[in-house]
Amino acid sequence: MANLKDIQRQIKSVSNTQKTTRAMKLVSTAKLRRAEELAKRSRLYAAKMNQVIAEIAGRIKCNKVGGLDNRCFVEIEDPKTVDIIFVTADKGLCGGFNIQTIKAVKKLLAEHKAKNVKVRLRGIGKKGIEFFKYNEVELFDSVANLSSKPDKERSDEFILSSIEDFKDGKVDALYLVYNGYKNMITQELHVNKLLPVDASQFECDEIEKSMIEIEAQDEEKMLNSLINRYVQYAMYYSLIDSVAAEHSARMQAMDTATNNAKDMVKTLKVQFNKARQAAITTELIEIISGVESMK
Amino acid sequence: MEKLKLEILTPNGVIYNGEALSVTLPGEEGEFGVLAEHSCLTTLLEAGVIDIEKEDKSVESILINWGVVQVDEKKVIVLVEGAVAIRGDSESAVAKALENAKELIESIKDNNPAIASVTARLELAAQNLI
Repeated sequence: MANLKDIQRQIKSVSNTQKTTRAMKLVSTAKLRRAEELAKRSRLYAAKMNQVIAEIAGRIKCNKVGGLDNRCFVEIEDPKTVDIIFVTADKGLCGGFNIQTIKAVKKLLAEHKAKNVKVRLRGIGKKGIEFFKYNEVELFDSVANLSSKPDKERSDEFILSSIEDFKDGKVDALYLVYNGYKNMITQELHVNKLLPVDASQFECDEIEKSMIEIEAQDEEKMLNSLINRYVQYAMYYSLIDSVAAEHSARMQAMDTATNNAKDMVKTLKVQFNKARQAAITTELIEIISGVESMK
Repeated sequence: MEKLKLEILTPNGVIYNGEALSVTLPGEEGEFGVLAEHSCLTTLLEAGVIDIEKEDKSVESILINWGVVQVDEKKVIVLVEGAVAIRGDSESAVAKALENAKELIESIKDNNPAIASVTARLELAAQNLI
Protein backbone atom coordinates (compact mmCIF):
# COMPACT_ATOMS: atom_id res chain seq x y z
CA MET A 1 0.00 0.00 0.00
CA ALA A 2 1.22 3.43 -0.88
CA ASN A 3 2.84 5.59 1.69
CA LEU A 4 0.50 7.98 3.53
CA LYS A 5 2.69 10.99 2.74
CA ASP A 6 2.89 10.12 -0.95
CA ILE A 7 -0.87 9.98 -1.25
CA GLN A 8 -1.23 13.26 0.56
CA ARG A 9 1.22 14.91 -1.80
CA GLN A 10 -0.66 13.57 -4.78
CA ILE A 11 -3.98 14.85 -3.47
CA LYS A 12 -2.51 18.28 -3.01
CA SER A 13 -1.04 18.37 -6.48
CA VAL A 14 -4.25 17.22 -8.14
CA SER A 15 -6.37 19.73 -6.27
CA ASN A 16 -3.97 22.48 -7.26
CA THR A 17 -4.39 21.49 -10.89
CA GLN A 18 -8.12 21.52 -10.35
CA LYS A 19 -7.95 25.09 -9.09
CA THR A 20 -6.03 26.14 -12.19
CA THR A 21 -8.38 24.46 -14.62
CA ARG A 22 -11.40 25.91 -12.87
CA ALA A 23 -9.92 29.40 -13.06
CA MET A 24 -9.17 28.91 -16.75
CA LYS A 25 -12.72 27.81 -17.34
CA LEU A 26 -14.07 30.93 -15.65
CA VAL A 27 -11.78 33.14 -17.70
CA SER A 28 -12.85 31.44 -20.90
CA THR A 29 -16.51 31.78 -20.00
CA ALA A 30 -16.12 35.50 -19.51
CA LYS A 31 -14.14 35.92 -22.72
CA LEU A 32 -16.55 33.72 -24.63
CA ARG A 33 -19.45 35.96 -23.76
CA ARG A 34 -17.72 38.96 -25.27
CA ALA A 35 -16.45 37.13 -28.33
CA GLU A 36 -19.83 35.54 -28.92
CA GLU A 37 -21.56 38.90 -28.79
CA LEU A 38 -19.17 40.30 -31.38
CA ALA A 39 -19.55 37.29 -33.66
CA LYS A 40 -23.32 37.35 -33.35
CA ARG A 41 -23.54 41.01 -34.33
CA SER A 42 -21.34 40.48 -37.36
CA ARG A 43 -23.07 37.33 -38.53
CA LEU A 44 -25.95 39.07 -40.25
CA TYR A 45 -23.64 41.41 -42.12
CA ALA A 46 -21.40 38.55 -43.22
CA ALA A 47 -24.38 36.53 -44.40
CA LYS A 48 -25.84 39.42 -46.40
CA MET A 49 -22.46 40.20 -47.90
CA ASN A 50 -22.12 36.58 -49.03
CA GLN A 51 -25.59 36.74 -50.48
CA VAL A 52 -24.89 39.88 -52.49
CA ILE A 53 -21.64 38.46 -53.85
CA ALA A 54 -23.18 35.08 -54.60
CA GLU A 55 -26.01 36.72 -56.47
CA ILE A 56 -23.65 38.73 -58.62
CA ALA A 57 -21.62 35.58 -59.25
CA GLY A 58 -24.78 33.67 -60.14
CA ARG A 59 -25.87 36.31 -62.59
CA ILE A 60 -22.48 36.49 -64.19
CA LYS A 61 -22.55 32.72 -64.56
CA CYS A 62 -25.90 32.90 -66.28
CA ASN A 63 -24.73 35.77 -68.46
CA LYS A 64 -27.16 38.27 -67.12
CA VAL A 65 -24.42 40.80 -66.85
CA GLY A 66 -22.99 40.86 -70.28
CA GLY A 67 -19.39 40.98 -71.33
CA LEU A 68 -17.88 40.66 -67.92
CA ASP A 69 -14.74 38.66 -67.78
CA ASN A 70 -13.65 38.93 -64.21
CA ARG A 71 -11.38 36.23 -62.91
CA CYS A 72 -12.99 36.29 -59.49
CA PHE A 73 -16.31 35.01 -60.75
CA VAL A 74 -15.29 32.41 -63.25
CA GLU A 75 -14.61 28.84 -62.21
CA ILE A 76 -11.09 27.86 -63.18
CA GLU A 77 -10.96 24.44 -64.80
CA ASP A 78 -7.57 23.13 -63.77
CA PRO A 79 -5.93 25.25 -61.09
CA LYS A 80 -2.15 25.23 -60.95
CA THR A 81 -1.50 27.07 -57.72
CA VAL A 82 -3.83 27.25 -54.78
CA ASP A 83 -3.69 29.35 -51.62
CA ILE A 84 -4.90 27.75 -48.42
CA ILE A 85 -5.35 30.05 -45.46
CA PHE A 86 -5.98 28.47 -42.09
CA VAL A 87 -6.88 29.98 -38.75
CA THR A 88 -5.89 28.27 -35.51
CA ALA A 89 -5.57 29.51 -31.95
CA ASP A 90 -2.41 31.00 -30.49
CA LYS A 91 -2.76 28.90 -27.38
CA GLY A 92 -3.45 25.29 -26.63
CA LEU A 93 -5.47 23.62 -23.88
CA CYS A 94 -8.66 23.81 -25.87
CA GLY A 95 -9.37 20.19 -26.68
CA GLY A 96 -9.48 19.20 -30.31
CA PHE A 97 -10.03 22.72 -31.56
CA ASN A 98 -6.70 23.21 -33.33
CA ILE A 99 -6.26 19.61 -34.39
CA GLN A 100 -9.58 19.62 -36.22
CA THR A 101 -8.50 22.57 -38.34
CA ILE A 102 -5.06 21.08 -38.97
CA LYS A 103 -6.61 17.78 -40.05
CA ALA A 104 -8.88 19.57 -42.51
CA VAL A 105 -5.91 21.49 -43.91
CA LYS A 106 -3.91 18.26 -44.29
CA LYS A 107 -6.79 16.64 -46.11
CA LEU A 108 -7.13 19.58 -48.47
CA LEU A 109 -3.38 19.56 -48.97
CA ALA A 110 -3.36 15.88 -49.89
CA GLU A 111 -6.28 16.33 -52.28
CA HIS A 112 -4.44 19.03 -54.17
CA LYS A 113 -1.12 17.20 -54.12
CA ALA A 114 -2.83 14.21 -55.71
CA LYS A 115 -3.91 16.44 -58.57
CA ASN A 116 -0.42 17.91 -58.90
CA VAL A 117 -1.53 21.33 -57.80
CA LYS A 118 0.99 23.55 -56.10
CA VAL A 119 -0.28 24.66 -52.71
CA ARG A 120 0.79 27.75 -50.83
CA LEU A 121 -0.06 27.52 -47.14
CA ARG A 122 -0.70 30.71 -45.28
CA GLY A 123 -1.22 30.28 -41.57
CA ILE A 124 -2.70 32.37 -38.80
CA GLY A 125 -2.21 31.34 -35.19
CA LYS A 126 0.83 29.92 -33.41
CA LYS A 127 -0.48 26.42 -32.91
CA GLY A 128 -1.05 25.65 -36.57
CA ILE A 129 2.22 27.30 -37.59
CA GLU A 130 4.13 25.24 -35.01
CA PHE A 131 2.51 22.05 -36.20
CA PHE A 132 3.43 22.52 -39.84
CA LYS A 133 6.93 23.70 -38.96
CA TYR A 134 7.46 20.64 -36.81
CA ASN A 135 6.27 18.37 -39.61
CA GLU A 136 8.49 20.21 -42.05
CA VAL A 137 5.69 21.38 -44.26
CA GLU A 138 6.64 24.64 -45.87
CA LEU A 139 4.52 27.65 -44.97
CA PHE A 140 4.36 30.37 -47.57
CA ASP A 141 3.38 33.00 -45.07
CA SER A 142 2.42 33.04 -41.43
CA VAL A 143 1.28 35.48 -38.82
CA ALA A 144 0.96 35.00 -35.06
CA ASN A 145 -0.94 36.91 -32.39
CA LEU A 146 -3.71 37.77 -34.81
CA SER A 147 -6.19 35.03 -34.06
CA SER A 148 -6.31 35.80 -30.35
CA LYS A 149 -6.84 39.50 -30.95
CA PRO A 150 -8.62 39.98 -34.28
CA ASP A 151 -7.65 43.26 -35.83
CA LYS A 152 -9.30 44.47 -39.00
CA GLU A 153 -6.28 46.31 -40.31
CA ARG A 154 -3.84 43.46 -39.84
CA SER A 155 -6.21 40.89 -41.28
CA ASP A 156 -6.91 43.14 -44.28
CA GLU A 157 -3.22 43.49 -44.90
CA PHE A 158 -2.64 39.77 -44.61
CA ILE A 159 -5.36 38.77 -47.05
CA LEU A 160 -4.70 41.56 -49.52
CA SER A 161 -1.57 39.93 -50.96
CA SER A 162 -3.59 36.78 -51.67
CA ILE A 163 -6.28 38.77 -53.42
CA GLU A 164 -3.68 40.62 -55.49
CA ASP A 165 -1.96 37.37 -56.42
CA PHE A 166 -5.26 35.92 -57.46
CA LYS A 167 -6.11 38.89 -59.61
CA ASP A 168 -2.65 38.80 -61.17
CA GLY A 169 -3.16 35.16 -62.03
CA LYS A 170 -0.43 33.80 -59.78
CA VAL A 171 -2.99 31.88 -57.76
CA ASP A 172 -6.03 30.07 -59.16
CA ALA A 173 -8.07 29.51 -56.03
CA LEU A 174 -8.25 30.72 -52.46
CA TYR A 175 -9.44 28.54 -49.62
CA LEU A 176 -10.11 29.54 -46.05
CA VAL A 177 -10.16 26.89 -43.33
CA TYR A 178 -11.23 27.72 -39.81
CA ASN A 179 -13.10 26.34 -36.87
CA GLY A 180 -16.16 28.46 -36.21
CA TYR A 181 -18.60 28.87 -33.38
CA LYS A 182 -21.87 27.02 -33.52
CA ASN A 183 -23.13 27.08 -29.96
CA MET A 184 -21.75 26.87 -26.44
CA ILE A 185 -20.71 23.26 -26.79
CA THR A 186 -20.07 22.72 -30.47
CA GLN A 187 -17.68 24.12 -32.99
CA GLU A 188 -18.18 23.87 -36.68
CA LEU A 189 -15.38 23.43 -39.15
CA HIS A 190 -15.59 25.65 -42.21
CA VAL A 191 -13.73 25.08 -45.44
CA ASN A 192 -14.70 28.02 -47.61
CA LYS A 193 -13.68 28.69 -51.13
CA LEU A 194 -13.35 32.47 -51.20
CA LEU A 195 -12.10 32.94 -54.72
CA PRO A 196 -13.30 32.40 -57.33
CA VAL A 197 -16.73 33.04 -55.88
CA ASP A 198 -18.74 29.86 -55.83
CA ALA A 199 -21.79 30.25 -58.04
CA SER A 200 -22.72 26.60 -58.25
CA GLN A 201 -25.65 26.99 -55.86
CA PHE A 202 -27.41 29.24 -58.34
CA GLU A 203 -29.88 27.86 -60.81
CA CYS A 204 -30.14 29.95 -63.89
CA ASP A 205 -33.93 29.68 -64.28
CA GLU A 206 -34.49 30.96 -60.79
CA ILE A 207 -33.05 34.36 -61.38
CA GLU A 208 -34.32 34.68 -64.89
CA LYS A 209 -37.17 36.89 -63.77
CA SER A 210 -35.25 39.68 -62.16
CA MET A 211 -32.57 41.34 -64.17
CA ILE A 212 -29.74 43.03 -62.45
CA GLU A 213 -28.32 46.35 -63.38
CA ILE A 214 -25.00 47.41 -62.12
CA GLU A 215 -25.13 51.13 -61.88
CA ALA A 216 -21.56 52.11 -62.52
CA GLN A 217 -19.70 53.34 -65.51
CA ASP A 218 -16.82 51.12 -64.69
CA GLU A 219 -18.25 47.75 -63.77
CA GLU A 220 -14.86 46.11 -63.59
CA LYS A 221 -13.65 48.62 -61.03
CA MET A 222 -16.74 48.26 -58.93
CA LEU A 223 -16.55 44.48 -58.87
CA ASN A 224 -12.88 44.61 -57.99
CA SER A 225 -13.43 46.89 -55.08
CA LEU A 226 -16.41 44.85 -53.95
CA ILE A 227 -14.42 41.62 -54.14
CA ASN A 228 -11.66 43.10 -52.03
CA ARG A 229 -14.08 44.17 -49.35
CA TYR A 230 -15.87 40.85 -49.47
CA VAL A 231 -12.77 38.71 -49.07
CA GLN A 232 -11.32 41.01 -46.45
CA TYR A 233 -14.50 40.88 -44.45
CA ALA A 234 -14.77 37.12 -44.82
CA MET A 235 -11.24 36.87 -43.44
CA TYR A 236 -11.99 39.16 -40.51
CA TYR A 237 -15.24 37.40 -39.77
CA SER A 238 -13.50 34.03 -39.73
CA LEU A 239 -11.12 35.45 -37.12
CA ILE A 240 -13.83 36.65 -34.77
CA ASP A 241 -15.82 33.48 -35.29
CA SER A 242 -12.71 31.46 -34.55
CA VAL A 243 -12.03 33.34 -31.31
CA ALA A 244 -15.53 32.61 -30.07
CA ALA A 245 -15.11 28.96 -31.00
CA GLU A 246 -11.72 28.79 -29.32
CA HIS A 247 -13.08 30.08 -26.04
CA SER A 248 -16.04 27.74 -26.13
CA ALA A 249 -13.70 24.81 -26.85
CA ARG A 250 -11.39 25.80 -24.03
CA MET A 251 -14.28 26.27 -21.65
CA GLN A 252 -15.45 22.79 -22.38
CA ALA A 253 -11.99 21.24 -22.16
CA MET A 254 -11.34 22.93 -18.84
CA ASP A 255 -14.70 21.85 -17.50
CA THR A 256 -13.87 18.24 -18.31
CA ALA A 257 -10.43 18.63 -16.75
CA THR A 258 -11.94 20.05 -13.56
CA ASN A 259 -14.36 17.16 -13.33
CA ASN A 260 -11.60 14.63 -13.91
CA ALA A 261 -9.51 16.19 -11.18
CA LYS A 262 -12.49 16.05 -8.84
CA ASP A 263 -12.93 12.31 -9.48
CA MET A 264 -9.24 11.72 -8.99
CA VAL A 265 -9.17 13.50 -5.65
CA LYS A 266 -12.11 11.38 -4.57
CA THR A 267 -10.38 8.07 -5.35
CA LEU A 268 -7.15 9.29 -3.79
CA LYS A 269 -8.99 10.25 -0.61
CA VAL A 270 -10.46 6.75 -0.37
CA GLN A 271 -7.00 5.29 -0.83
CA PHE A 272 -5.60 7.65 1.77
CA ASN A 273 -8.23 6.68 4.33
CA LYS A 274 -7.67 3.00 3.70
CA ALA A 275 -3.93 3.45 4.21
CA ARG A 276 -4.51 5.43 7.36
CA GLN A 277 -6.85 2.77 8.74
CA ALA A 278 -4.29 0.08 7.95
CA ALA A 279 -1.58 2.03 9.75
CA ILE A 280 -3.75 2.40 12.87
CA THR A 281 -4.61 -1.30 12.84
CA THR A 282 -0.95 -2.27 12.59
CA GLU A 283 -0.09 0.03 15.45
CA LEU A 284 -2.87 -1.40 17.63
CA ILE A 285 -1.77 -4.96 16.92
CA GLU A 286 1.75 -4.04 17.90
CA ILE A 287 0.63 -2.58 21.23
CA ILE A 288 -1.67 -5.48 22.02
CA SER A 289 0.91 -8.09 21.15
CA GLY A 290 3.43 -6.16 23.27
CA VAL A 291 1.05 -6.25 26.25
CA GLU A 292 0.28 -9.92 25.65
CA SER A 293 3.94 -10.86 25.64
CA MET A 294 4.50 -9.12 28.98
CA LYS A 295 1.89 -11.25 30.74
CA MET B 1 -47.71 56.43 -51.24
CA GLU B 2 -46.18 53.01 -51.27
CA LYS B 3 -43.56 52.09 -48.76
CA LEU B 4 -40.30 50.26 -49.22
CA LYS B 5 -38.53 47.97 -46.82
CA LEU B 6 -35.15 49.25 -45.82
CA GLU B 7 -32.37 47.43 -44.04
CA ILE B 8 -29.04 49.01 -43.17
CA LEU B 9 -26.45 46.65 -41.77
CA THR B 10 -23.01 47.30 -40.35
CA PRO B 11 -20.45 44.78 -39.10
CA ASN B 12 -21.55 45.79 -35.61
CA GLY B 13 -25.21 45.12 -36.14
CA VAL B 14 -28.38 46.45 -37.70
CA ILE B 15 -28.57 50.23 -37.70
CA TYR B 16 -31.91 50.59 -39.45
CA ASN B 17 -34.59 48.07 -40.15
CA GLY B 18 -38.02 49.23 -41.09
CA GLU B 19 -40.25 50.85 -43.65
CA ALA B 20 -39.61 54.11 -45.37
CA LEU B 21 -41.22 56.29 -48.01
CA SER B 22 -37.97 56.97 -49.78
CA VAL B 23 -34.27 56.82 -49.26
CA THR B 24 -31.46 58.92 -50.70
CA LEU B 25 -28.11 57.24 -51.10
CA PRO B 26 -24.62 58.62 -51.81
CA GLY B 27 -23.73 56.53 -54.86
CA GLU B 28 -20.25 56.51 -56.33
CA GLU B 29 -21.45 58.42 -59.33
CA GLY B 30 -23.59 60.84 -57.39
CA GLU B 31 -26.52 60.87 -55.08
CA PHE B 32 -29.65 58.98 -56.02
CA GLY B 33 -33.05 58.47 -54.52
CA VAL B 34 -34.97 55.23 -54.29
CA LEU B 35 -38.73 54.86 -54.03
CA ALA B 36 -40.79 51.71 -53.70
CA GLU B 37 -40.90 49.52 -56.84
CA HIS B 38 -37.52 50.71 -57.98
CA SER B 39 -35.93 48.44 -60.55
CA CYS B 40 -33.18 46.02 -59.53
CA LEU B 41 -29.85 47.64 -58.95
CA THR B 42 -26.59 46.90 -57.25
CA THR B 43 -24.02 49.59 -56.77
CA LEU B 44 -21.34 50.92 -54.49
CA LEU B 45 -21.77 53.82 -52.13
CA GLU B 46 -19.11 56.23 -51.09
CA ALA B 47 -18.68 58.21 -47.93
CA GLY B 48 -21.68 60.43 -47.38
CA VAL B 49 -25.11 60.67 -45.83
CA ILE B 50 -28.09 58.38 -46.27
CA ASP B 51 -31.36 60.27 -45.85
CA ILE B 52 -34.35 58.17 -44.95
CA GLU B 53 -37.82 59.66 -45.31
CA LYS B 54 -39.92 57.81 -42.81
CA GLU B 55 -43.63 57.16 -42.82
CA ASP B 56 -44.36 60.23 -40.73
CA LYS B 57 -42.39 62.35 -43.24
CA SER B 58 -39.58 62.91 -40.77
CA VAL B 59 -36.08 62.46 -42.11
CA GLU B 60 -33.37 60.46 -40.47
CA SER B 61 -29.76 60.91 -41.51
CA ILE B 62 -27.10 58.23 -41.31
CA LEU B 63 -23.46 58.91 -42.03
CA ILE B 64 -21.55 56.12 -43.76
CA ASN B 65 -17.95 55.68 -44.93
CA TRP B 66 -18.36 52.96 -47.56
CA GLY B 67 -21.14 50.70 -48.63
CA VAL B 68 -22.86 48.56 -51.16
CA VAL B 69 -26.56 48.67 -51.88
CA GLN B 70 -28.84 46.09 -53.36
CA VAL B 71 -32.20 47.34 -54.54
CA ASP B 72 -35.06 45.23 -55.81
CA GLU B 73 -38.77 45.82 -56.23
CA LYS B 74 -39.61 45.07 -52.63
CA LYS B 75 -36.67 46.00 -50.50
CA VAL B 76 -33.43 47.90 -50.19
CA ILE B 77 -30.48 46.33 -48.43
CA VAL B 78 -27.53 48.53 -47.62
CA LEU B 79 -24.29 47.05 -46.30
CA VAL B 80 -22.01 49.67 -44.82
CA GLU B 81 -18.67 49.40 -43.15
CA GLY B 82 -18.92 52.23 -40.66
CA ALA B 83 -22.03 54.23 -39.84
CA VAL B 84 -23.39 56.71 -37.33
CA ALA B 85 -27.08 57.51 -37.12
CA ILE B 86 -28.02 61.08 -36.21
CA ARG B 87 -30.85 60.37 -33.87
CA GLY B 88 -31.72 60.53 -30.19
CA ASP B 89 -34.49 61.35 -27.77
CA SER B 90 -32.82 64.30 -26.13
CA GLU B 91 -30.65 67.17 -27.15
CA SER B 92 -27.61 65.65 -25.50
CA ALA B 93 -28.09 62.31 -27.25
CA VAL B 94 -28.27 64.03 -30.62
CA ALA B 95 -25.19 66.07 -29.79
CA LYS B 96 -23.33 62.90 -28.86
CA ALA B 97 -24.32 61.21 -32.12
CA LEU B 98 -23.13 64.28 -33.99
CA GLU B 99 -19.80 64.07 -32.21
CA ASN B 100 -19.40 60.41 -33.15
CA ALA B 101 -20.24 61.29 -36.71
CA LYS B 102 -17.58 63.99 -36.78
CA GLU B 103 -15.06 61.47 -35.51
CA LEU B 104 -15.95 59.14 -38.37
CA ILE B 105 -15.58 62.01 -40.81
CA GLU B 106 -12.13 62.80 -39.41
CA SER B 107 -11.05 59.22 -39.95
CA ILE B 108 -12.00 59.19 -43.62
CA LYS B 109 -11.13 62.78 -44.47
CA ASP B 110 -7.63 62.05 -45.76
CA ASN B 111 -8.55 60.09 -48.82
CA ASN B 112 -11.80 61.83 -49.56
CA PRO B 113 -11.83 65.61 -49.81
CA ALA B 114 -15.52 65.76 -50.74
CA ILE B 115 -16.50 64.62 -47.28
CA ALA B 116 -15.96 68.06 -45.77
CA SER B 117 -19.29 69.27 -47.11
CA VAL B 118 -21.04 66.48 -45.26
CA THR B 119 -20.41 68.05 -41.87
CA ALA B 120 -22.67 70.99 -42.63
CA ARG B 121 -25.46 68.69 -43.76
CA LEU B 122 -25.20 66.62 -40.63
CA GLU B 123 -25.40 69.69 -38.43
CA LEU B 124 -28.48 70.79 -40.26
CA ALA B 125 -30.06 67.39 -39.75
CA ALA B 126 -29.24 67.51 -36.07
CA GLN B 127 -30.76 70.96 -35.72
CA ASN B 128 -33.98 69.78 -37.25
CA LEU B 129 -34.17 67.04 -34.66
CA ILE B 130 -33.70 69.21 -31.62
